[in-house]
Amino acid sequence: MKLLVTLVWGLLCTVAVQVMAAEDDVLAPPHALYPAPKVTLRWINPGETGGLAAEGSYDNNQGQLGVLNAGGAVTATGHPFFAPLGSNGRACISCHQPQDAMSLSLDSIRRQWQVTQGQDPIFAAVDGANCPHLPQQDPASHSLLLDRGLFRVFLPWPPRDAAGKAIEPEFSIEVVRDPTGCNLHPQHGLHSAQPMVSVYRRPRPAANLKYPTHQNFGVSSFIGKNGLPTARDPDTGKPTSMNLMADARAPSLRAQAADAAATHLQRLAPLTKAQLDAIVAFEGQIYVAQQIDRQAGSLIEPNGPTAFGPRALLKGEAGVLGNNTSRWVFPMEGKWTTLSRGNGAAQDARNAARESIARGHDVFMFRTFWIRDSMHLNSVGLGNPTKRTCATCHGMHMTGMDTANGWMDIGSTNLPWAREAPLNPWTTQKPEMPLFKLTCRNDIAPHPFLGRVIYTQDPGRALISGRCNDIGTIVMQQLRALSARAPYFSNGSAHSLRDVVDFYDRRYNIGYSELEKQDLANFLGAL
Amino acid sequence: MKSLQRGITLLLASVSGAAVAAMPDGAQRNFVACPIVRDTASVPCWLAEYEGELYFLTLQTDVSAPVNPPMLGHKVLVEGRRTDKPRICGGIVLEPVRLSVLPTLDANCNQLLPAEAQYNLTFEPPRPPGPSKGRLAFNTLDVQQAEVAPQRVEKHFSIGYDFEGRVGFKHPALLQPVLDYALAIKATSIDIEGHRGAALLSDGTILNESPQLAQRRAQQVAELLQGAGLIGPRYTVRWIDAATAPNGSDDSPQRRVDITVKP
Repeated sequence: MKLLVTLVWGLLCTVAVQVMAAEDDVLAPPHALYPAPKVTLRWINPGETGGLAAEGSYDNNQGQLGVLNAGGAVTATGHPFFAPLGSNGRACISCHQPQDAMSLSLDSIRRQWQVTQGQDPIFAAVDGANCPHLPQQDPASHSLLLDRGLFRVFLPWPPRDAAGKAIEPEFSIEVVRDPTGCNLHPQHGLHSAQPMVSVYRRPRPAANLKYPTHQNFGVSSFIGKNGLPTARDPDTGKPTSMNLMADARAPSLRAQAADAAATHLQRLAPLTKAQLDAIVAFEGQIYVAQQIDRQAGSLIEPNGPTAFGPRALLKGEAGVLGNNTSRWVFPMEGKWTTLSRGNGAAQDARNAARESIARGHDVFMFRTFWIRDSMHLNSVGLGNPTKRTCATCHGMHMTGMDTANGWMDIGSTNLPWAREAPLNPWTTQKPEMPLFKLTCRNDIAPHPFLGRVIYTQDPGRALISGRCNDIGTIVMQQLRALSARAPYFSNGSAHSLRDVVDFYDRRYNIGYSELEKQDLANFLGAL
Repeated sequence: MKSLQRGITLLLASVSGAAVAAMPDGAQRNFVACPIVRDTASVPCWLAEYEGELYFLTLQTDVSAPVNPPMLGHKVLVEGRRTDKPRICGGIVLEPVRLSVLPTLDANCNQLLPAEAQYNLTFEPPRPPGPSKGRLAFNTLDVQQAEVAPQRVEKHFSIGYDFEGRVGFKHPALLQPVLDYALAIKATSIDIEGHRGAALLSDGTILNESPQLAQRRAQQVAELLQGAGLIGPRYTVRWIDAATAPNGSDDSPQRRVDITVKP
């Protein structure tokens, strides 16, 4: 059955690609009321000439993404962000495509598999496959990338500190389940000559980066949530916000680029200073956000809410706590709460959609629920449980990130909350994700919510810090341009924004009404 | 200890004298219990029962609160003084009160009570359960600004802990002034002395913090300061392993690390 679905899907996808090619990549406007500019879906290959215009628009299922290249048009030729700098043909652009909000959507991944018959560099064995030893021409060897948009991230065990010295971890790690074969592989696995733990994660958007790299509220010499020393930027010596990547292992964009070049691009020599400068400068000038909603029309009309569109992110102040009624996380200014009717069906439908977005905002900001057993939230003085709202954690003005060091365990990778394949005699569904058993040492305090033995699909920050309390904690990411880059959560376990809302509803026993769920998903989709 | 730099001197001090068990004074209430959460129309109250009485511990506010709520799933050590203030959420108000979440998980501590009209707060809480009006509820966590060109004099700092606690979310505000001052005066020497404490409960029981905790606290503080970039001074790290005899009224200050920054 799965094979049949795959074949049908593949056929449809091929047809769709051919149609797009035949139409010069032009798609129809997403709606009638606010016709979109002429838009294109365009994959940028490493080494292509051309580049990125000062402004771009890209259709997606929810409407249209806006990409603002605030520094002006960039020529790709010779630019290190666009050039294949490593040995596997990849460039930064490979996994940070403008059409996907400088990340990579599952739709695009699947399309590239079809278009290139799996030859696109994103499918490189090193991390575009479930494990390098697998037969690379077989789509099953890339199932986590093709099914969930996940790349392999391989990290040394035990963890290393910034100087490369081994950290004595507070826990031991065992491989309970290894569906990819990588964690027990004699060359790539935990018991290999160079022990590695392979986890599988989504690429994050290389855009709006002044926010995750801010030097504002919550950044100091000590991590606000646990008192440990904050990672410092090796170039400036300043403490960082530690909000880059799923595990905050890179303290700066330069460090991230250097790490990505060595691992994802398989570059053997370090990037030059000029290359790093150019990459970081380019990343710093890109802003992405949804700008048209399929139902609600333009999100960036004059006199509309100031939360929306990429220009709002350019203008916004970074690192400001917005979980309040003075700065707001996503400023709506009370607009769209009650709109007129009777101006025709199309206008009425648009206004109804805008009201739904406004209600979704209020759910995000004001709908309380009991947040419980979430490490680095319930452990930082709010109590367990704490009666708060989405904006409590997603509090950074304009992005909904955490202003402070943002790794947290909401259960997206830790059992019992992580999405697992149901095992029973009536299904052939098999687990896709690895499962690890981590046992915290007896000479340290147990994890306050999960005890000493923790099962997880991805230990998250703990693979960097070695700390029991960090097991399964993931740096929360920005809530912008979500419609352009499904699936969601670091392990791709939510295929839609509705899946995201449903996860929270289950996890925290919120009891959202159907309307609240729809409104919240619509609001998130408009960001 | 391995991560401490060369040049650190380790001294192990000891104190003699056994803890003398005496009963805390009449207004003091020191006990270990499961915390209880009671919802209200605004923020939840945190309560605990002891000897048939219900005590109010604190409200949910935010991270800046001088007293932070405990955790369901754990027992809490309550060290507080009974007051005659009007009850809050049905509980006798303890003030001041010190709450320490005990590390061991306890699934029996799981009582979340629904809101009832008679337990609504009679005052506006320091912050609502949702967005604030734009500031933290309290200013106690504001990091002290280092003096501009401070005098190069020896200065003492004390870092307090919850019972059985190590460094946590409260400590950046305590460690930052140490770091700032040491950097400002170009300190040549940092003396660190760790302590562990004991708590005399209202029923006469004495709870002792774990052995080696004084050592771990002292070493951790040294590592944190070094990790934060304070690598110039010479560190002297010592600890007093014996807990001071508790008296039931001021036991919590014994759980500390003393730091002396020398020019």
